[in-house]
Amino acid sequence: MLELQDIHGGYGKMTILNGVSFKIPKGTITTVIGPNGAGKSTAFKAIFGLLNISKGQILLDGKDVTRQSPRQMIYHGVTYVPQGRNVVPQLSVYHNLELGGVTAKDQTKIRDRIEVVMDQFPMLREFRNRKAIELSGGQQKQLEVARSLLLDPKLILIDEPSIGLSPKLVQEVFGTLQRLRDQGVTILMVEQNAKSALAMSDYGLVLELGQTRMHDEATKLLADPRVGQLFLGGHIEDANSN
Amino acid sequence: MSQFLQVLLSGLATGSIYALVAIGFTLVWQAAQTVNFAQGEFVMVPAFFVLVGMHVLGFPLALAVGFALLASIVVLGFVFKKLIVEPILPSGGISLIIATMALGILLRESVKEFYGAEAQPFPPLFPTDPIHVFGAVVSMQDLLNLVISLGVVILLTLFLNRTRTGRSMQAAAQNPAVAEILGVDVKRMIMYAFLINAALAALASFLITPVYLAKFSNGETLGLVAFIAAIVGGFNQIRGALVGGLLIGVLDNFVATYITAEYRAALPLILLIVIILLRPQGIMGTSEGRAV
Repeated sequence: MLELQDIHGGYGKMTILNGVSFKIPKGTITTVIGPNGAGKSTAFKAIFGLLNISKGQILLDGKDVTRQSPRQMIYHGVTYVPQGRNVVPQLSVYHNLELGGVTAKDQTKIRDRIEVVMDQFPMLREFRNRKAIELSGGQQKQLEVARSLLLDPKLILIDEPSIGLSPKLVQEVFGTLQRLRDQGVTILMVEQNAKSALAMSDYGLVLELGQTRMHDEATKLLADPRVGQLFLGGHIEDANSN
Repeated sequence: MSQFLQVLLSGLATGSIYALVAIGFTLVWQAAQTVNFAQGEFVMVPAFFVLVGMHVLGFPLALAVGFALLASIVVLGFVFKKLIVEPILPSGGISLIIATMALGILLRESVKEFYGAEAQPFPPLFPTDPIHVFGAVVSMQDLLNLVISLGVVILLTLFLNRTRTGRSMQAAAQNPAVAEILGVDVKRMIMYAFLINAALAALASFLITPVYLAKFSNGETLGLVAFIAAIVGGFNQIRGALVGGLLIGVLDNFVATYITAEYRAALPLILLIVIILLRPQGIMGTSEGRAV
């Protein structure tokens, strides 16, 4: 489905990614974990065409999509939900949803899709005419996830969906992602809340210092003492030497 | 009563033209987070494009106006955005503000150099015959200026709120990073804002120059009053710019008629100080910042 081969890149002259490589299969959830500054969000930006890639290749269903623009990635069926709040504050919930399909040629289909998506997120139907800024943090995140579904994507990149959400809302968002996975959507997620994210994922990926350190089934990573060590401030090599 | 209505309508007519220019300020602010201090000159120049169309190219008035509108959109919209805004904006808003001040001087002096310092007669677009409205005598020109300006503002508001392109422009203004990841062509939306600003400035020019005559220095007063109107109304709201423009136009007329005409030039400045002290976000503005 998605394959990164030795990706190098960063912001201007600052290199953040120093050889990120991984493959994720279709219809699965893969959680990317790693310490702060490991390059997790940067890797997502690289995939979505928001970062200078100096070396390496990104393949989507075998097709080279390296250095494609965000708009082109959307045409390839990829959507991206960055961390933080990402709504258009003064537009209504409905019009925020509509923007998720702004690249679609047939806008009548988008209206139908909005209805389908609002069925999945009933709260959005209730608040459809409210300005997005008037929603709570959790509701805004649900709006962002819902918006990313407008074009029926095959791959969703979602960065730190749990930030600022109550544990109950985090479970709701994770539940939504699992439902999408069951419908065949592939999900690649960055999450600080590593334990609960890995618990609901199929695969896990550990990034450190801009490189892929570990990549395995999520249950195996959860049981691996090196992962715990990493999140206690150590490094993979330190853990190996213990 | 009839005099009151007469003064009110005349003030609304002038104010609605200020509003067109003030809306341009807010559009450029939304699009590029900068203030175009050449905005007054953007209103002065299109009138000279009309005169060039008529006197140099030999066009009849209607064609000259069409030519001037097109030339304004190209020069004051497209070229301004490409040659000045795009290269300078990465250096920061302050650099761009200084650049627009320089552009204002350049436009003013160029027109003075090539067309002369004397005020040029400018043909009215509409009949100037007086008509009676509820006992008040109002010129047809004032009434049509008011109707056209308000009509354009309503159309612009409908475009921004009711069309997909308009909402994409709002997204690009309010949260460009999000707009980009949703696939909105942010650069194109910003360009649209500059083109619309140029068209509004041109329209304001065609409506107000028959009253002021075409003169190289017209932009100084117009730019200042419209800038104040945008601040008074709320710099981040189109409806704020509309309210600010109408308010200044009406107050100016009332003060000049019923109190004194001596200090009318100071009135917008007094209003500005009062608003900044009492409601710094403007009458209709929101303190959170960016919204079209």
